[in-house]
Amino acid sequence: MHFWQRLWDNLPYFLEVLIPAAGMTIRIAAGAFVLAIVLGLLLALLQTVKAPVIHGVVRTYIEVIRGTPVLAQLFILYFGLAELGLQFTPIQAAILGLGCNGAAYLAEIFRAGIESIHAGQMEAALTVGMTPLAAMRWVVLPQTLNVVVPPTTNYSIALLKDTAIVSAVAAPEIMFRARNLVMETYLSAQIYILVAVMYLVMSLILAFISRRLERRLTASG
Amino acid sequence: MDAFLDVYREHLAEWLPQLIAAAGNTLRMTVLAFVLAFAVGLVLALAKLSSIAPLRLVASGYIEVMRGIPALAVLYLIYFGLADFGIVFDAFPAAVVGLGLNGAAYMAEIFRAGIESIHVGQMEAALTVGMRPLAAMRWVILPQALRVVLPPLANFGIALLKDTSVASIISAPELMLRARDLASSSFQPMQVFLLAAAIYLAMSLPVAFLTRRLEARFSRGHV
Repeated sequence: MHFWQRLWDNLPYFLEVLIPAAGMTIRIAAGAFVLAIVLGLLLALLQTVKAPVIHGVVRTYIEVIRGTPVLAQLFILYFGLAELGLQFTPIQAAILGLGCNGAAYLAEIFRAGIESIHAGQMEAALTVGMTPLAAMRWVVLPQTLNVVVPPTTNYSIALLKDTAIVSAVAAPEIMFRARNLVMETYLSAQIYILVAVMYLVMSLILAFISRRLERRLTASG
Repeated sequence: MDAFLDVYREHLAEWLPQLIAAAGNTLRMTVLAFVLAFAVGLVLALAKLSSIAPLRLVASGYIEVMRGIPALAVLYLIYFGLADFGIVFDAFPAAVVGLGLNGAAYMAEIFRAGIESIHVGQMEAALTVGMRPLAAMRWVILPQALRVVLPPLANFGIALLKDTSVASIISAPELMLRARDLASSSFQPMQVFLLAAAIYLAMSLPVAFLTRRLEARFSRGHV
């Protein structure tokens, strides 16, 4: 009984700290998501280019990123590059690390989407005089939405949870602030239950938005 | 570049044995968490597909909650949170239990999809010849479902192998923790973390390669 009483007594203070931290979690996730989409699309498009060198470089990037932990990538960006004189702030490192990591996964999703479109579509667009890029932009990519949107929204939910690990480079998001609160108050169980509930609420809201977005974007496709 | 590689020439003989020993712990953690996730995930999947409403509700609740929170939060709850109630784990078992219970939710969805992919006629036929529901599940449905779930199970295993790195945040002795220690004692984080990443890659790529061949074979032959 003491247990919940102590959580209740401290709740206003906990929320005062953790809600702005949740804002930071969302900002990091959003920044990484945008970076992952842009870079992932670029990687997917580069794989359609018929140049073995480019293809080799892109495939290597994707395989290496997908074969190593995101935490290792984050440490290389934050601690490793600092050794070479390139010092990112924790937030920059978090967005860059999660974004460059996600790009490899999204590139595979986008590639599968592009490959799912019949080659005749591209040929027809080129025949009527579109440049390859315009054909990709106006003919092929819009048709991939059906295939691409559901896994991409799933990725966004996974990304939201993955932001928890950037606390390891001291980015001031939920997990990092929670740890500080625990050191301050010693109420570890209460604080981490509260943290779990906050992540759960954010994930469920994001899942709800995702399902609606999927219905709207894929219905027209 | 030369100076960069010189660091390896000087330290590789000292670092590599330590990191490889730690990678052994990473593998052990992965296997133990996988077994736990497999067992709990199977029970959850069967509960979610059962005809008993409270069982379904509990299983669905567990799966939704676990999939909605980060693995790191689960590790913190088990490692720091349970200590408040006098349940004290070492970091390594805490990581195994945390990653296993978290992974069970994902595993359950893989199993459920696998079981649902088997035509209902299979179950009906097994019941008709007099098998009990559990026996039919054990001897008729699950063996067929295993084929379907094998590739996603392997992918889960690869993801789990990489996720064990998160356990370093609660100081569980595995590859990433060793790398962090070496990085801070040598002041050469770039070289150490690149080496650690290469070891992860060496562990995950063979499994990924085999999985893809398996998937290619399945998609050619079956379904």
